[in-house]
Amino acid sequence: MQEVAVLGVGLHRFGKTGDDIVGNKSVTALCRHAIDAALSDAGVPWKQIQAVCAASSRFSGGKGWGLNGNDVVEELGSTGIPVYNMSAGCAAGGNAFNVGYSMVAGGVYDMVLVVGGEVMPKGMIQTSGVEEATDPEFLRQRCVGMPGPSFWATLARRRMHDFGTTEEQFAKVAVKARRCSVHNPYARFQKEIGLDEVLASPYVSNPLRLFEICPVSNGAAAVVICSAAKARQFTSRPVLVASSTVATMHFSDALPRGLAGPVPGGPSFHTESLAAVKRAFEMAGIGPQDVSFTELQDNTCYYEFAYPEEWGLCKPGEAEHLLESGQTAPNGRMPINPSGGFVSFGEATTAMGVFQIVELTWQLRGQSGGRQVPDARVGLAQTNGLGGNATAAILKK
Amino acid sequence: MSDEILPCVPGLFDQSGGAARLHGSRCASCRTPYFPRSAECHNPDCGGSRMEDCSFAGNGVLWSYSVADFPPPPPHRYDKPFVPYAIGVVDLDCGLRVVGQMVDPPAALRVGDTVELVISELYHEDGKAFTSWKFRQLAAAAAGSE
Repeated sequence: MQEVAVLGVGLHRFGKTGDDIVGNKSVTALCRHAIDAALSDAGVPWKQIQAVCAASSRFSGGKGWGLNGNDVVEELGSTGIPVYNMSAGCAAGGNAFNVGYSMVAGGVYDMVLVVGGEVMPKGMIQTSGVEEATDPEFLRQRCVGMPGPSFWATLARRRMHDFGTTEEQFAKVAVKARRCSVHNPYARFQKEIGLDEVLASPYVSNPLRLFEICPVSNGAAAVVICSAAKARQFTSRPVLVASSTVATMHFSDALPRGLAGPVPGGPSFHTESLAAVKRAFEMAGIGPQDVSFTELQDNTCYYEFAYPEEWGLCKPGEAEHLLESGQTAPNGRMPINPSGGFVSFGEATTAMGVFQIVELTWQLRGQSGGRQVPDARVGLAQTNGLGGNATAAILKK
Repeated sequence: MSDEILPCVPGLFDQSGGAARLHGSRCASCRTPYFPRSAECHNPDCGGSRMEDCSFAGNGVLWSYSVADFPPPPPHRYDKPFVPYAIGVVDLDCGLRVVGQMVDPPAALRVGDTVELVISELYHEDGKAFTSWKFRQLAAAAAGSE
């Protein structure tokens, strides 16, 4: 196995269709912007890219929206290189990164572009396009009516029962996230928000409120990866990929994917993410105590409490206290989402796993300005996607 | 005027014998319950996959719940004006964890409530009432700490 390095990174700032940031740009145009930035950052021309791993939603979305890697290659100039389109819901970006990483590590290619980008449909994501009784998603929506945020609210409500978490504590996560976003020129929202404003925002799915749930956004992210040996021809101190993993949910998972499942024998939350992160620690030979900061998938503020505990970054029931004492801020002892997270960016589904690699790289290079984690040495990234998909990656300098 | 009453999706549930029942299956090898019916057992620790039809009914415990504060997108259907409702995740005594709308208003619910399976109207269309399975609190006063 070759050691893998991140050579270049780029983003298109996140925004909403029609605004001053993304306007009416196509997903291909957004990706082109991010890719040009990543190639420039790497110091590598397009013609030296040997393969593209694209986080693709075109087919999993099934509605004609979303990214397809072939369009991106055509946009930059068809050189005949292989394109891998990875579909894994909101975990697709992490999935594409893992495939690129694996191929560089395996010596198949030595200059790979990983890209994710999205122009999202408006409003709540409609997850089922078919009306057939054999489709579990159709049954759940027709017979019950369980919109996406309802999953997060179910988990958040259970945490309130298990640990006494309050609605105010969920709101404080959003306040912390937006405080970070002030220092991130790529975030869609870059203004601080007050606790009273969060608590005054309407419930989307009680107990979770509008400002505690990430909206959908348009945006794009790209990274160029190669072997560490090759990277050292460009820079003396490349950011290294300590590990990259993909996992899917376990049969025992607490939350049924369809209408029902067996009552689990014990706690079994987020089994796909737990498996991906645990494996990433094992592969890297790095433990939770070595992590300088984490970028995790905060579709809702709830996850900033649940995930760090499940992964051993802190003790069960401790996360609320760590937040309230400032320890999850960039200068705390367990920084979470110094970028501002999904709550500040909004979610451009397939871009997110790649966006996290970009932020990890900037942090490890010390290029994150006012949101910089002091002495950042090891960064952990994690995504979780519809269909029971999860990814993790650990980067180090 | 009584509407014609139809299930929102046929074959998944009924209350022909009086009590509400969900039509699923259970693996005779590992006892894993499935709803709706499954042709095969998906338990990775089970090598048997001997599936038998099975109906699930009775009481359970509210494991957690959420609220649809806004109308879900299609293919959900609802009566207008939209009234927010709670969605329960219920552990039935028979070993099945199942999602379903709650009959009771969201503010009345507590995690750990004892609930029963019922069949109840979901929406109305063309002079017909369409039903689904839902859950109802058995005794709100007994809303426990567990």
